[in-house]
This record gives sequence, structure tokens and C-alpha cells, in this order.
Amino acid sequence: MIPMRNLQRTAVRRALVATLAFSAFIPPALHGADAGELSALREQLRLLEQKILILERKQELKDEAAAAAPKPPVATVTDGRIELASADGGTSLRLRGLVQGDYRWYDAANNPNDTFVLRRARLIFEGRFNQLFSYVVQPELAGTIQILDANLNVAFSPAANLRIGKFKTPVGLEQLQSDPVAFFNERSVATNLTPNRDVGLALHGDVLNKTVNYTVALLNGVPDGGNNVTGGADFDADKTFAARVFATPFINAKNSPINGLGIGLAVSVGDYATAAGRTGGYRTDGQQTFFAYDASVVAAGRGVTWSPQGYYYHGPLGILAEYVGSAIEVQRPGFGVREVRNHGYNLSVGYVLTGEAASYRGVTPKTVFKPAAGTWGAFELVGRIAGVDVDDAVFTGPAAGRLANPNTAATKLTTYGLGLNWHLSRSVRANFNLFKNEFDVAPGAAPAANALIADDETTFISRVQVSF
Amino acid sequence: MKFKSLFTAALALAVGAAANAKDIELLNVSYDPTREVYAEFNQAFAAYWKEKTGDNVRVRQSHGGSSRQARSVIDGLQADVVTLALAADIDALHTNGNLIPADWQQRLPRNSAPYTSTLAFLVRKGNPKNIQDWPDLIRAGVSVITPNPKTSGVARWNYLAAWGYALKAGNGDQAKARDFVAAIYKNVPVLDSGARGSSTTFVERGIGDVLINWENELLLTKKLRPDDFEIIVPSISILAEPTVAVVDRVVRRKGTEAVARAYLEYLYTPAGQEIFAKHFYRPHLPEVLAKYEQQYPKLNLFTIDDVFGGWTKATREHFADGGTFDQIYVK
Repeated sequence: MIPMRNLQRTAVRRALVATLAFSAFIPPALHGADAGELSALREQLRLLEQKILILERKQELKDEAAAAAPKPPVATVTDGRIELASADGGTSLRLRGLVQGDYRWYDAANNPNDTFVLRRARLIFEGRFNQLFSYVVQPELAGTIQILDANLNVAFSPAANLRIGKFKTPVGLEQLQSDPVAFFNERSVATNLTPNRDVGLALHGDVLNKTVNYTVALLNGVPDGGNNVTGGADFDADKTFAARVFATPFINAKNSPINGLGIGLAVSVGDYATAAGRTGGYRTDGQQTFFAYDASVVAAGRGVTWSPQGYYYHGPLGILAEYVGSAIEVQRPGFGVREVRNHGYNLSVGYVLTGEAASYRGVTPKTVFKPAAGTWGAFELVGRIAGVDVDDAVFTGPAAGRLANPNTAATKLTTYGLGLNWHLSRSVRANFNLFKNEFDVAPGAAPAANALIADDETTFISRVQVSF
Repeated sequence: MKFKSLFTAALALAVGAAANAKDIELLNVSYDPTREVYAEFNQAFAAYWKEKTGDNVRVRQSHGGSSRQARSVIDGLQADVVTLALAADIDALHTNGNLIPADWQQRLPRNSAPYTSTLAFLVRKGNPKNIQDWPDLIRAGVSVITPNPKTSGVARWNYLAAWGYALKAGNGDQAKARDFVAAIYKNVPVLDSGARGSSTTFVERGIGDVLINWENELLLTKKLRPDDFEIIVPSISILAEPTVAVVDRVVRRKGTEAVARAYLEYLYTPAGQEIFAKHFYRPHLPEVLAKYEQQYPKLNLFTIDDVFGGWTKATREHFADGGTFDQIYVK
């Protein structure tokens, strides 16, 4: 096919040549010119045509060279994200970030200080190369400085991916959701029972026309709300097996009112041993510890976590629900191994007042906050009820032998949350969350008046978040 | 019953053999005007290899200016074999990429040059500018088409042929030779990246009065458009020896060493030589050369070793960055 530009050039050239040719062939009598002049004119015409042809050819060669030249990388900047990608998209590096600044106001028996908190500060590096490999490196620079995620993913096919490194254990539904798009500032208290990030490998993918997502993982093992902070430590030789199947059976029925329905089941099983502190404390919505084992208690046997879970999103409505059961064998030195069974649940609901669609991946506002233009972004109302029920058996026995102190640890927590999320843009969100945490204490417990569990905890947490 | 058993065994063997036949793919990275000859040669070799081994071999082709092709291989193009316009370009695979050993030219007969060619002139019908020999190329008003020596193998041959002529005419005076070649390039309006591009410029785009190009390329043009062009044989020209090599590092990685070597060896067989002769390249085998001798113009040829001391020296002096070509060619 001849490019349009060439056709245009050719047309111009032909017109020029025709004009000159016409004038050249006017009879000499009319010109008053002799044969020599005519010959010279013809030669000039030929030279002129050659010059035009040469110019055309040079342009053609330039075009060919440009077409054959390696395409330069493409830099894309959107919503604060910066991405560098090769022309074919096979290799890319994306720089993202997350900063969350909170102000926390408390009304609680232990009278904690109202405070500003830099909750999260992360630089996220994501990349892909050779069409097959992708990676994430995500350091946490707020609080305990650590590498949160560092993993390589090998995408053999949509149905078969292998992830190696540090990543989230595939159990908790809300745990697996990205921090900045969750309904509330803090995940529900049920997440206390689900294992968090760990080191290992996972096979995962989408099957059955993307209606089922599966993950099976082999990991070092972080039971009961644990997080492998250092990334390298394995407290014992045993490994943990985790598996999760999550189905969105109607996802391909675009117009169905239930295409946003997802249900799943996740399980992790492992044997754990030694190391005090592995059975870490559980925290309230206000991030205060309401339950902790005695410091000498260690994990000493089988730990199992299971979680039926699901969500439903339709238009501006979003519902997320999960139940978490945790059974773990623990031991206080000098006493026998005991199995502790804890339970948690979470029911969260959100509704986008401005009509945008809600999803597990968050809300994308139709407008951005720009008062001069009369646009304010999106507003979302959220509510939650959640709880954790700790096995009463941990409080039984003599003080020297029981697993937890009933005067400082609650046996049950029920939380209520209400919030307003203001999506100023796709990258900026302001949250205003009010939580009420109600504690039940073990029979016979006598918490001190200034113990957290002596009275309800009411917390107001406001947050400004930049996530790009 | 016995027949049935034999038939079954034969069938099983046949099925087994078919099941074991390998599909092999080679990449031949070549210079500009060899598209047609290798298209035919590859089919012949595939049939030969199938008969010999039972394996299916498919040869993909890549063509462009010789030096640019060499650069692509050095930069990572996975060529099993290279069949380039000049030995210097293949040498670069050793010196700049360590892809082949230093003695690569000794691995095949005739310094790995399975055929030869030379250069001649193509002019428009009636030879309106009366081009007869090299000195006519520096006349005012004569427009000369030749590719860029920085990217094209034939362009280097053209350049050196002109230089060699001028040296002989000037009794070895290098300064005069330099001025002569500079004068030619003053008459070059367009520098294509390869031989086929120059043919397009001259034949299809109608630019220029004379095209310097491979003899085989000119004979092919003359065959296709006998009424439009004439071939002019200069008084002296250079013996061009395009060379070939297996790219060791690639074939070892791909496991194609044996078939790649056989592919190049097939160039030297009577069947391979005949294919190249049909496409106007000059074969080595005397019986094939005798059969096609009448199609080649008679002319005096000198070699690059005779006049320039070999490709390494010629490349360094003339075509390296800052070399003579860079000094004389004014864009």
C-alpha cells in the first residue's frame, strides 16, 4: 500500500512536471525560442524532476528507517503513577506509592493519647519482563520498617502462575484486599485470626472462564494473625499449606444483578513450635491490644485456620462478609499442650452515595475534587459489625498455668463501625470512621479500672490517604 | 499371517519414524539481494535434509544491508547461520560479539566463500549519459546510485572497486584515488542502506543515471526489464567473495549445529551451486560454471587482498568511524 503522503507528493510532482512539459512543447514560433533553448528547457525539466524524485526517495528512506528503528520506551504518568514500558509492553516498571496519615481520638478506660499517626508509607515497585515474569517489591517505611512484599510471579498461563517470595497468605478475604480500597481505615477484628504475609511459593490462577480463582501455597508458616516481618525467619522445620478457592460464578453475565457475587473457602494448616510471641495479640479497631497470651506461651502443635467468605457488589452497593475459625495448639512451659479455638466474623456494607460502582478493587470517582468546577469526587457510607470470640479455656486454671490473664485480656470483642469515605480523586481519599468496641471478660475477671477491657472503647479515626 | 505381521511391523516402523521426525527451524541472516536465491535454495536443502535424516527443516530468512545485519546478530538476533556480503561483517561476529571463533573462515572450502560475484554498472536504455567506465562516474551532471558503505556490503565493494581502479590508473597514488572516489560520491544523491534499496531507487523510482551494484542483481534486473536498461562492464572491477558461517554460540544453545553446518556445506554441492548460478552468482564448481559461463560478462578482476591487504585493513582505513569514507562524504 502506498502511503497517502507519497500519493500527495506524487500528485504534486506530476502536476509540476505536466505544467512544465506543456510549456516545453509549445511551438517555438509561439515562444520565439530556438531549438537550443528548447533543449535546455527540457534538460532543466529533467533535472527538476530528478530533484523532486530524490527528495521523495530521501523522505521514503527516512520513513523506512523510522519504521525499522527500535521503538523508544513509553513513559506514562497517570493519577500519580509513573510507568516506564517498552514499546511492545513486554517489559515495564511501575512506581507506585501509598501514604496514610491518621488522627486518632479515643474514649477508653486506659485513656490513650489522642494522636497523629503515620499509618503507612510505602513505595511500591512493580514490573514485568519477557512477557512471562512480573515482580513486586513493597517496603513499609512507617512503623516497623520492613519489606512487606517481595515476590516474583511467573505467568505460564492465566490458569497457572507461580509466585515465589514474600506475599499475603491466601486465607482472609479482607486481608487479601488492598489496604487503600478497604471499606474502613482498619480491617475488621476478624482479620486478627488470619495469617498475614509469609515467605514461600504459591500456584495460582483463574480457571473455568475466569469464574474460579484458586491458590495453593507452601509457606514457612505464620499462624493466628501473624506476619513474617523479617522475611527470612522460619521458626520451625515444618511448613504450612494454604489453599483458597474463590468463585465468581456470574462474573461473565454482565447484565445480571448477581454478577458481583463471589463466594469462597480458604484453609491453612501447619505445625508450629517454639518461639515465644508467635501467638501474638489481637487488636481493637482502635489498634489497641485487647487480648494477648501470656508472654511465655508458645505454639506447640497443629494450627488450622479456615474461612468461608464472600462478597456482593452491585452498583453502588458493596457487602463483604467472612468468618474465620482458628484452632491452634499452644503450651505454657511446664504445662500440657492445649488446643485453643478462636472465632471471628466480619460483615461490612458500603454504599456509594454519589452513584459510582463499588467493587472489591475499590471505588473510582466519576469526578475529582475541584470546587471551582463544582465537582467534589465521590462519597461512600460504610458500616460494619465484627467480632472475635476467644476460647474461654485460655483463662482457666491457676494463675501460674493459664494461657492468658483474664484481668487484661477480653474473652470476646464485638465492634461496630460507621464511616464516611470521601474519594477526592482516584488517588486521594479521606476517611472518617467511628468505632465502638465492646469487651466481654472471662467469668471472675476483675480488670483494673484503667485497663482497656474495663470499659468500651470508642474511637474516631480520620485519615487522609494518597495511593497511586 | 506372516504377511500381516510384516505389514504391521512395517507400519509400526513407519509411524514410529514419522513420530520421531524432528521439526527444526533455522534462521539465515543474509544480505540484501539474496532473497530469491535463498528462497529456492532453502526448499532444495529442506528436501535434501528430509531425505537424509527424516527431519523437517524450515529456514527463515532475514535480509538487509550486510553490515547492519551483522550488527543485528551481534545485538542478539538469533541467527543459526550468517551469509553476508563480505568477510569483514562476519569477522565482526568474532571481534565484537565473540559468537564465532577467530578461524571461522577456515571451516569451509574457499575461505567460506561458496560463490563469487563482481560489480558492474546499470544504465538506462540507450545509455543517454554515455557511461563506459569508472571515469565517467565523476563527470558533472552524472548521477550515481550506490548504497551506504556504513550499512551495506556491496557499497563497500563498490567503493573499493572504484578506489582500486583509481590506484591503477594513477600508478598507485593514494591521494588521487581518494580524490577520485570523493568525486564519485559528490555525484551520489541518495544513499540507500542496501543493494536492494539502491535497485529500487534506480529502477523503480527512476533516480540517477547509473547504478553500481552486484552483477547478479543487475543481470536479474536486465532479465526482468530487458527494454529499459543496459549493463555496462567497466574495464576493471573487484572480485567479490561473499562469505558464510555458522553462528556457534546460537546453534550450540539451540542444538542446531549439525543441520546448520550441513546447510552451509550444501552450498558447495552441485545442486547448491546450480541454484546460485541460476540466480547469476558465479559458482566455483567448474562443471556448473561451464554450464552458465555465457551469462557472465568478461572483465578484469582484482582481489581485496591484492590491493587493500585484506578486509581488516580496508575496514579500518576506509569504513571505521572517522575513516576515509567519513572524510570524503559530505552529506
